Amino acid sequence: MRIQEEMSIYDKLNILTDAAKYDVACTSSGVSRKNDGTGIGNCKLSGICHSFSADGRCISLLKILFTNECIYDCKYCINRRSNDVVRTSFTPDEICTLMMEFYRRNYIEGLFLSSGVLKSPDYTMELIYAALYRLRTRYNFQGYIHVKAIPGASQELIQRVGFLTDRMSVNLELPTAESLKLLAPHKTRKNILAPMRLVQNRMAENKQEIVAYRNSPRFVPAGQSTQMIIGATPETDYQIMQVTESLYRKFELKRVFYSAFVHVNEDSNLPARTDGGPPLLREHRLYQADWLLRYYHFQADELLSEENPNFNVLFDPKCNWALKHLEEFPVEVNRADYKKLLRVPGIGYKSAGRIVRARRLGNLDFPDLKKIGVVLKRALYFITCSGRMMYPTKIEEDYITRNLLNAGEKLPQEVVNMGYRQLSLFDDVRFDADKVMQVKG
Amino acid sequence: MKTVYVCTDSVTGIFSAVHDAWKAQKTEEECGIALRGFMEQQLFCDYVEVEETEGKAAAVENMIRKHMGLLAYHDLYQAALAADAEKGDAVLGTMLAAKKLKDSKKIMEHLSHPKVEKVFELSRRVGNEAHFHVEFIRFRELESGILYAPVTPKCQVLTCIAPHFADRFPLENWMIHDKTHRAFAVHEARKKWVLVQEAYGEAQKEEYEEQFKRMSEKEMEYETLFKSFCETIAIKERENPVCQRGHLPLWYRPNMVEFS
Repeated sequence: MRIQEEMSIYDKLNILTDAAKYDVACTSSGVSRKNDGTGIGNCKLSGICHSFSADGRCISLLKILFTNECIYDCKYCINRRSNDVVRTSFTPDEICTLMMEFYRRNYIEGLFLSSGVLKSPDYTMELIYAALYRLRTRYNFQGYIHVKAIPGASQELIQRVGFLTDRMSVNLELPTAESLKLLAPHKTRKNILAPMRLVQNRMAENKQEIVAYRNSPRFVPAGQSTQMIIGATPETDYQIMQVTESLYRKFELKRVFYSAFVHVNEDSNLPARTDGGPPLLREHRLYQADWLLRYYHFQADELLSEENPNFNVLFDPKCNWALKHLEEFPVEVNRADYKKLLRVPGIGYKSAGRIVRARRLGNLDFPDLKKIGVVLKRALYFITCSGRMMYPTKIEEDYITRNLLNAGEKLPQEVVNMGYRQLSLFDDVRFDADKVMQVKG
Repeated sequence: MKTVYVCTDSVTGIFSAVHDAWKAQKTEEECGIALRGFMEQQLFCDYVEVEETEGKAAAVENMIRKHMGLLAYHDLYQAALAADAEKGDAVLGTMLAAKKLKDSKKIMEHLSHPKVEKVFELSRRVGNEAHFHVEFIRFRELESGILYAPVTPKCQVLTCIAPHFADRFPLENWMIHDKTHRAFAVHEARKKWVLVQEAYGEAQKEEYEEQFKRMSEKEMEYETLFKSFCETIAIKERENPVCQRGHLPLWYRPNMVEFS
């Protein structure tokens, strides 16, 4: 392995962007910070996306690897050591210049710095620290920084980096320890969860410090996140949702990201390559369910169960839940409490808040709901306004299912392309657990 | 007979018209506001030209802040920036509706009132467009080192976006050029930003704007770097132009380096 010193910044950026693109998180939210008037940059609580790439994902941060050299050999990763790809590294200075020039032109919202493992986890983390330190002090950069903690790096280094960054994330990579052992032999569950726990504890301590001393430095103020690869191993949606739920509860994560598995390597432990492309619909349903957990007071075992472990392809998880719990409906919009409103398909948390406030000043009717932002074509089967439904409808699963599908509900591309035979399966067609087990065996 | 107050398409204009209508103590049915240039003449109406002054606008602003609260002021102000012919009527109607409420500060929650709903919708539209511009504005470094960003917004969003950049780049000289409404937001390093109208006529436009085309040496280099970054970061297997258009509508793109 050789680092080509003479490589231009253009080539380096291309290589190290290409290597970083499978990382999912590109959010810049979670922290609000004004500029103190002496440097450059600020942070908005909502986060700001600056562009959208051809795959429809947002470009908010300068997402790059520090280096794509790696001593690990994770089967799913393009940068694993057994792959023959051009290797290169940035210098801390190059990262700073790129950052500052992109930032002041309003191209990006901040930096997302991840890295392959060069020499050792500690050595890599030290390099990352050097780049961040320079950016924060010499360039006085006050914008958003998201850093990946390298599993296996020492506690002290992770703490030092934590004071320079806004969000830190450790990738869980795969939902279960067995899958991790199979596909990422050099990473262990313990190595991943230990830094996660450390960051969690340190953040809690930091909260106390800030109460005592208002100006004490902030430790990972935007919280931590993680990501999992979906579709490379045979876990069910139910298992994944349970893992997610426990991450939110036990580790107080801000976000869990899901990354539909993209075939970049050939390996006997990976699922066979199909023509279908990455399992995007499955990823989409997981994100929808993730939102239900975080904003809609749902719990994982309300949405799925052992007997019914995968999401419905035709309906989003909330709609699916409602269809299975018709005894709770219809809901009276003018009286039901906020949590009840949240469970109605077609009413989002913003609309629910608006309804609760608006109904204090007068009775709401269907046209008002439409203006408030409720999606009536979905909600009309589940709500009444002053005791009246919008049209005479039956509260019956088959009837509503049929009507929702007829109402021009936009079906995912995967479902539209399916043949008739497959349409009868209420299962994700992309992922075939048996096939993977065969390959594994 | 209904009295319609006619004013120019600006916040000062609309607030001055509100001032006059309020002074005349009319009810909602008896008065309205029309914008010069966007008017549809109606029968049985009195058309009155409004004398627009900063003083009247400031009085109305204070009144809104005091009686309807900051949040309502935010919505009314944003609504007055929208590209919509009926915005004046909506603002006036909302204020008259607030007068009838026991607690005028709750007015923006009264979404079943048609005028309030209209203000809510306009404010949301302007807010969204302003947010999009905060995201999609691209500065170019001119020869002089000044950062220059041309925009062509539908609504008059300059005043909504300039404070964000003033906070973000306090040490930079920058300006945002609203080509639709012929205005600039100009920020000099370490100073407050100011709003100025284009001072040149249509005839000198080309000659004047020539200077905005002379970039610094490094500019092209970083534009190329960013373009290739945007291309590389996309995952080919996941390509989805419809999704991209949903987030980043086509009409924003002519001003963005990565799409030029």
